[in-house]
Amino acid sequence: MMNISKTLLRRGLPQANITSNILLSTATIDDKIEIPKRIPRGPTDILRALESTVGRDPTAAHYKYHDDPYLIPLSSSGKRIFAMAQEAGRKAAHWVRQEHADLFQHREADPVIEAFVPPMVYTEESEVAVADLEKLIEMRQVVDSAVVYRVLKEKNVEVAQELEQGLLELLCYQNCEDGVSEEFVEERWFRQASKGKEFVKKTWKDGDLAEQIFTKMTPKTPESYCAIIQGMSKYRQMDRAVQLFEEAQKSNIPLNTNTYNSLIQSVNMIKENFDMRWSLLADFLTQMKNSNLKPNLGTLNAILYALSFMGNPKRAKEYVLQTLAEFKNLGIEPSLGSWYYVILTFCKERGPVSTILHDIINHLEDKEHQIRDLKDTHFFVTAMEMARHHLNDVALARRIDKLLNYGDNYNLIGDSYKESVYFRHYFALLCDNLPLEEFMNDVYFKLVPHIYVPEVGIMAEVLNQVDVNGAVEYIPKLWSDLIVFDQSHRENLVDCILNTMVNNEQLVTPELTESFAKIAWDIYSRSINEEEGRVHRLNLTGDLLGKILILLVRQKDFEKACKVMDRLDKNQQTIAGVPKIEALALFVDLCIEEKVPSRGIDCIQYCTDCGFPEANSLAVRLHKELNLDEVFLERLTKVVGDVFSTS
Amino acid sequence: MSRIYLITHLPNNIKNTFHNVRHRTLQKVSLCTSSSSSSDDDTKLQKKVEEKKKSKEALDKLNKLLLTMTEDDVSSKTKLNLAQPTNKRQKKLREKQDFKESKATPTETLVNAANNVAESIGGDVKQTQSELLMKLLNVANGDATVNTNLKDLVKGMKIDQESAQGAGLSKAQQVRQILQEQSKAPRRKGDMAKPRSKSAKSPKRDVVVEKISLFGSEPLGIFSPNQNDLTEGVVNKTWNHLYDKDLKLAVTHPPSNYFQQMILWTEQKKIWKFPIDNEQGLEEEKKVYFTDHVFLEKHLEPWCPLKGPIRHFMELVCVGLSKNPYLTVEAKKEHVLWFREYFKDKLELLQETGAIQETDLGKLHADQKQSEH
Repeated sequence: MMNISKTLLRRGLPQANITSNILLSTATIDDKIEIPKRIPRGPTDILRALESTVGRDPTAAHYKYHDDPYLIPLSSSGKRIFAMAQEAGRKAAHWVRQEHADLFQHREADPVIEAFVPPMVYTEESEVAVADLEKLIEMRQVVDSAVVYRVLKEKNVEVAQELEQGLLELLCYQNCEDGVSEEFVEERWFRQASKGKEFVKKTWKDGDLAEQIFTKMTPKTPESYCAIIQGMSKYRQMDRAVQLFEEAQKSNIPLNTNTYNSLIQSVNMIKENFDMRWSLLADFLTQMKNSNLKPNLGTLNAILYALSFMGNPKRAKEYVLQTLAEFKNLGIEPSLGSWYYVILTFCKERGPVSTILHDIINHLEDKEHQIRDLKDTHFFVTAMEMARHHLNDVALARRIDKLLNYGDNYNLIGDSYKESVYFRHYFALLCDNLPLEEFMNDVYFKLVPHIYVPEVGIMAEVLNQVDVNGAVEYIPKLWSDLIVFDQSHRENLVDCILNTMVNNEQLVTPELTESFAKIAWDIYSRSINEEEGRVHRLNLTGDLLGKILILLVRQKDFEKACKVMDRLDKNQQTIAGVPKIEALALFVDLCIEEKVPSRGIDCIQYCTDCGFPEANSLAVRLHKELNLDEVFLERLTKVVGDVFSTS
Repeated sequence: MSRIYLITHLPNNIKNTFHNVRHRTLQKVSLCTSSSSSSDDDTKLQKKVEEKKKSKEALDKLNKLLLTMTEDDVSSKTKLNLAQPTNKRQKKLREKQDFKESKATPTETLVNAANNVAESIGGDVKQTQSELLMKLLNVANGDATVNTNLKDLVKGMKIDQESAQGAGLSKAQQVRQILQEQSKAPRRKGDMAKPRSKSAKSPKRDVVVEKISLFGSEPLGIFSPNQNDLTEGVVNKTWNHLYDKDLKLAVTHPPSNYFQQMILWTEQKKIWKFPIDNEQGLEEEKKVYFTDHVFLEKHLEPWCPLKGPIRHFMELVCVGLSKNPYLTVEAKKEHVLWFREYFKDKLELLQETGAIQETDLGKLHADQKQSEH
C-alpha cells in the first residue's frame, strides 16, 4: 500500500489527489484484501505471449529454412523449392506410415496422440458404425465419410437425421471431394492462386452424392434446402440453385441468411445487364426482410461483391455508398473484404481517379483487424496496387504498410503469391518516387533478399533509376544480387547494367573501375561457360561484348580484353551485331600502350570487316604511335589499303 | 535543377543535329542538280525541273519533320517543366492559343475535337473538356512515356557525350562536368550527400484528394435498423463449423518462429498443453475416487473364505492390484472376479488338497447356488 502511494507521488499527481489516495490506501489496510479474479488461460496463451515478443528479423532468412548459409535460399524460385521440398519430406513420411501401417501400431504416448496414428482405411467391406461417420465428418474427411455412409446404408443401419444433415452439409461445402490436408501448411502457402478476378466456371458435381442424399431425404427440412442451395451457389450451379430456391419459396420453407447471401453473390451469373442484376438483388433483399431474417456481414460482402463487377460503374458506386450506410445503421462493421470490394468498384483501371483509398485508410488505421471473411486477405494487395497504379502516392503506401505491420495484421497478407505482389507494387512505387539513396537504404537493403526478392521487371526499374541517378557505387551490389536471384542471364538487365557502367566513366573511382572490370569479365565468362543442361543462356551480342571490352580496357586488363576480342573476331557468324567503334578504338589504344601491334592489326582487320570507316584513322594512329616495322606495315597495308602515304 | 538545365539544352542539340542533317542533304541535292548540268539542254532542262521539284519536296518534307520534332520537344519540355497542379490549366490555355494560331499538330486537333464535343454536350463545358482532354492526353502520354522520356533523355545525354567524337565540349558535356564536379566535391567515403535530385516525376494524373464520406450516403432503405428480434434463420452447424475452420486456415502461415510452431503443434494435439499437468488425457480417471483403486477387499467379501491359503492368495492379489497404476477400477474388479470363477471351477481339487475347509465351503456353495439361479 505504501508502495502504491510512493508511485503516485512520483507520477506527480496534484496534492489533493495524493492525500485522498493515501487516505484510501490507509483505509483499505484494515479492509479485506481484494484478490483479482483469475483469468482463465487457454492452452496456448503463454506461447502466444512469448511469441509476441519476437519480431521479424529482416536480416535473417525465414524460420522454416535451415539456418546454414549454404542452405539459405536467396532467389524466389529457390525459396519455393526449398520450402516445398521440406513439405515433400513430410508427405513422404505420411506415405510411409500409410503404406506400412502395421509397423506403426505402438502407442507409446499417454494420452494417445491421434495425429501419429496411421489413418484408417475405409473400404466397402469395413466394419463401420455410426460413430465412425460422426468422427469422419468432424475430421472433414469427405471421401471416407461418403464410403462409410454407403456401407451403412447398404447394411440398412439407421442414420440419424441430424447426422445425415451434417453429412449433406459437408458434401455441399466441399463439393464431394477432399481439400488439401490441414497439415500441409507450405502447400497452402505457395498455392499460386492464378485465378482471374472471377472464376465463373461451374464446378458443382451434378448428380453426385450430395444431390442424391438431398433428393432421398424425406421430409426436406429447411436446413437441407439451405445446405444444398448454398453448395450449388458456391460451385456456381446457378440454374439448379435458383430452381430449388423457388421450390422452397413455394413450399413456404424458411431459409436462412447465409443462403440468401450465396444467392446474392451469384446475381451476376444469373442475369445479364446492370438493371436486371440490381433488381434481382433488391428482390432478394426484400424477400429476406419479409422472411424476418437478420442480415449479417456476409450479406454486406455479397452485395459489395456483386456490385464490384455488375457494370455501369457510376451507379454501382452510388449503390456501394448506400449499402455501406445501410449496414452501418444496422450496426454491422465492414470487414477488410468489404473494403476490398469498395476499392475494386471505385478504382477501376479505365475510370476516373478516385481517392477513396485515403478515406478507407483513415478509417482502418492503427487498429488490429481480424479475419472475418475469406476475401479479407485480398485487401492489402489491392490497396497497394491502387496506391501504385491508380494514385501513385508514396505517403499512402507508407500508411498501408504501417497498417499491415500493426499488431497481427500481417497474417492477413494471404499467401506467398499475394505477398510477393504486394511487395512488388510497394517497391516499384517507392523506386519511382523516392530519391535513390533513401530508397536503397530504407527499402532495398531492408527487404531484399529475405523478405522479398524483386522480379526481373522490378530489378530493371531499380537499375534504371541507378543509371538515371548515376549512382554507380550500387552496381557491384546489384550485380551480385542479380546472380543470387538467378537473373543474371536476362538480356535486358545485363544490357542495362553494362550501359550504366560504361556511360558513367567520370563518376568512378579506381576501385569501382576494378570492380566494373570484374563484373564485365564475370558476365563474359558466364555466357561462355554455361553448363550443358542449363536452359537459360545469355547470348552476348556484339554490342554487349563491345561494352565489356570498354570496361576491361579501362581497367587496363590487356589479357582479358584480348580474349574478348578474340571471341568477337572468331565468332563473327554466331554473334549478333557488332560493337561500337569506340570500344574497338579503345582497344587499339590499349594495344598501342602495351606495344603489341599484332593485336592492334587484328582489331583493325575486324573493323574493316565490319565496315567501319574509322578503321583507316585507327591504322594511321597505330602506325604513328608505334612506328611499325616492315612486316607489320605490310600487313596493315593489306588490311586497310594504302592510307599511310597520305598521312 | 541541373537536369532541367540539361533538358532545355537537349532540344537544341537535337535541333543542331537535324540542322546539320538538313544542310548535308541540301548540299547533296545541290550537288545533284549541279552535276546534271553537263548533259543535253532540253532533256536536261526537264530533268532539272523535275529534280528541283523533287528536291523541293524533299526539303519541304524535311522542314515539316523538323517542325514536328521541335514542337514535340517543346510540348514535352513544358510537361516536364511544370510539376504543379496548375499546369493543367496553363497547358489548356497554351493549347487553346496554339489552336487559335492554327498549327496543325495532333494535340491541337484533339483539343479542337474535345472543345467541340464539350460544347455540343452542353452543361459544364470546361469540366467535360478538361476530363476529355485529361483522358485523351493521358492515354497518349501515359505514365510510362513521360517517365521514359525523362530517363531516356537523361541517358541520351550520356550517350551523346560518347558520340561527341572529341569535337569540343557540347552543352551536354559541359553540364555533365558541372554535375560531376558537384557530385565529386562532397564525395568522400562516408559522405553520401550527393545532390541527386528526386526524379521529378509528376503524378500520373493531377490527383486532388477529395474526401468521400464513406458512411454518409443515404441508405438503401430496405432493412429497418431497429429490429432486434430477427434471427439469421435455421443454423447449418456443420457448414458454419467448416467455414470457421477455413477462416482460421487462411491466416495460418508457415510458422515464423519456434513459438508459433509450438502453438501449431499444441492445437494439433501433438504436444502437452501449458500449464503442464501430467494428468492430461486422464479425464475419466478423475471421476473415480482413489479409495476405489486401493481398497479392493470389498470385492472379496461375498465369496472368499476368511482364512486359509486362498485368502492369503487373494489378499496378495488385492495388494498387487492396489499398487497397479495402469488399470482402471473396472479392470481390477474384473481381475478379482475372474479369480472367483476360477476357484469355483477348481472346487473339487481344492477340497481334495485341503486348501478349503468345510466351514468356508458353505459360503462358496451359497455363492454357487446364487450364481446357478
